[in-house]
Amino acid sequence: MNFLDWIVLLGTISTIVLYGTWRTRKTYTIEGYLKGDNSMKWWMIGVSIMATQASAITFLSTPGQAIEDGMRFLQFYFGLPLAMVIISVTMVPIYYRLKVFTAYEYLESRFDLKTRTLAAGLFLILRGLSAGITLFAPSLVLSTILHWPNMVTTILIGTLVIIYVTSGGTKAVSLTQRQQMAVIMSGMILAGILAYTMLPDEVSFGNAVDIAGNLGKLNLVNLEFNLSDRYNIWSGLIAGTFLFLSYFGTDQSQVARYLGGTSVTESRLGLMFNGMLKIPMQFIILFIGVMVFVFYLFNQPPVFYNKVLLERAYEAGQGPALDSLDAAYQTVYDQKRAEVDNLVSSIKLEDENAITRHRTAVLALEKQERSIRDAVKDKIATALPDAKTQDRDYIFLNFVLNNLPHGIIGLLLAVMFSAAMASMAGELNALASTTSVDIYKRSIRPNADPVHYLRVSRIITVMWALVAMVFAMLASFAENLIQFVNIVGSLFYGTILGIFLTAFYLKRVGGTAVFWAAIISECIVIYCYRETDIAYLLFNIIGCVGVMVISSVIQLFLRRNSPA
Amino acid sequence: MDTENSDNIGKRVPLFGTWRRWYAFLLGFLVVQIILYYLLTNNY
Repeated sequence: MNFLDWIVLLGTISTIVLYGTWRTRKTYTIEGYLKGDNSMKWWMIGVSIMATQASAITFLSTPGQAIEDGMRFLQFYFGLPLAMVIISVTMVPIYYRLKVFTAYEYLESRFDLKTRTLAAGLFLILRGLSAGITLFAPSLVLSTILHWPNMVTTILIGTLVIIYVTSGGTKAVSLTQRQQMAVIMSGMILAGILAYTMLPDEVSFGNAVDIAGNLGKLNLVNLEFNLSDRYNIWSGLIAGTFLFLSYFGTDQSQVARYLGGTSVTESRLGLMFNGMLKIPMQFIILFIGVMVFVFYLFNQPPVFYNKVLLERAYEAGQGPALDSLDAAYQTVYDQKRAEVDNLVSSIKLEDENAITRHRTAVLALEKQERSIRDAVKDKIATALPDAKTQDRDYIFLNFVLNNLPHGIIGLLLAVMFSAAMASMAGELNALASTTSVDIYKRSIRPNADPVHYLRVSRIITVMWALVAMVFAMLASFAENLIQFVNIVGSLFYGTILGIFLTAFYLKRVGGTAVFWAAIISECIVIYCYRETDIAYLLFNIIGCVGVMVISSVIQLFLRRNSPA
Repeated sequence: MDTENSDNIGKRVPLFGTWRRWYAFLLGFLVVQIILYYLLTNNY
């Protein structure tokens, strides 16, 4: 980081924050604050949806994922276009017809107040905790890279988001997300292009793709049906559809994005936009990771990517052991480099036998490299028992900081800050609207004047931001919180989706039946979590199906007992 | 395309209607993408 980087980073971030605050300073109504006065066009909605979903950890971690595991993660998104179509057909017109502020308002008109409050409450717990993680993960990585205390990055990102979200509400969220998305995509693509241009001159783009393909990084589609394999086309199309249906259809942080549209048409087109571009966008990010992988075939990568942690392990007395591992890593890399050169020449000669031979050699050496890296991680874990030795999230930024020209480094850090702010802004805005509309306005103070609600919504926004910031700071003391939050997500999403699907498709089921079914299903899910080994992702399906089946059964009993 | 049509807020909107083409287009695009990714995978 030099002066130029700081200018680019601070200039980009402050321009976005100040412009967003200034342009939306005249937000005087609750409609304006929570729904952006229904002024959003389809492309704004589409960009806003994508920016809310993609948090900083998406851009930090996805290239690293491609480097370690190849591009198969893409399959996770195959269900997304299907979910977009289903939501456009069923949910969007209903939300518009009822002119709701939040998705949970619909549940009161379909069922009753207690069901609405239950769903809103489940959402607040789930999203409130994950807003903390949305902030914590990038804060941790950025603070490590910049050598700042974690608290500083957390407070910095949190405060910047508070400034424009409390000032302009939904409109400010969407306006800033557009600029943040532009910064993010241009920065990422530039990094990918630079990674390619830094390859040796004799390696063409086609050669680079061939090398990556031969080393198993272009494993985009896996047709094999395997329940224990997290990413194959079937898990993507089936479990992915389920997950994205609940995320985009019932999670207020996404519903708020398309409820701000001028019409049903705009909202649907916004969702189509997301369905059209999401997979290619993830493809590009993963492909950038693959280019960085090829770059590191021709340039020696560090043995461990989280340099701060490595230095701490040195200070804790692991120096000699780490040095010998580093030397071994260097030796293996030199051998691998020679084999990679052989692989490139055999690819150019199209000599299939030689390609197979050198590919096998490179893969075997990669395996050796991995075991050395594992040994390094063990040493670090011995020296620092509570340190996080998973360094995947650091690979991409490490590449950026050590290899890209100054100015671009600042831009890429601005990418990470922008992504963190964009998704946190969307989440805060949704938490504020759900708390103020579904809880405060409905059950605490129903008949106050609109100015009062606007003021309360702003206060609630700040309150949730503070909750997220405190949680993000506490998270650094307890690493397992991330896992905890992921589990909480799976525990609640299924039940929320179940309530909505019952509302849409089981017309005979009433409020009381679905309320108790939701509580019973939630207990079943929690029981499964505590007493069985079922994978988290399946909780979504158990909760959802549970609500639908149990509510139908309860409804049968209720009807039988009620006087004709 | 009625991009300026804010009148239809609060009115019933036909579920598929003219949207059939858009949905087909999106799903067609998904299928084409999967086929391309599959071909790329199997090339290696």
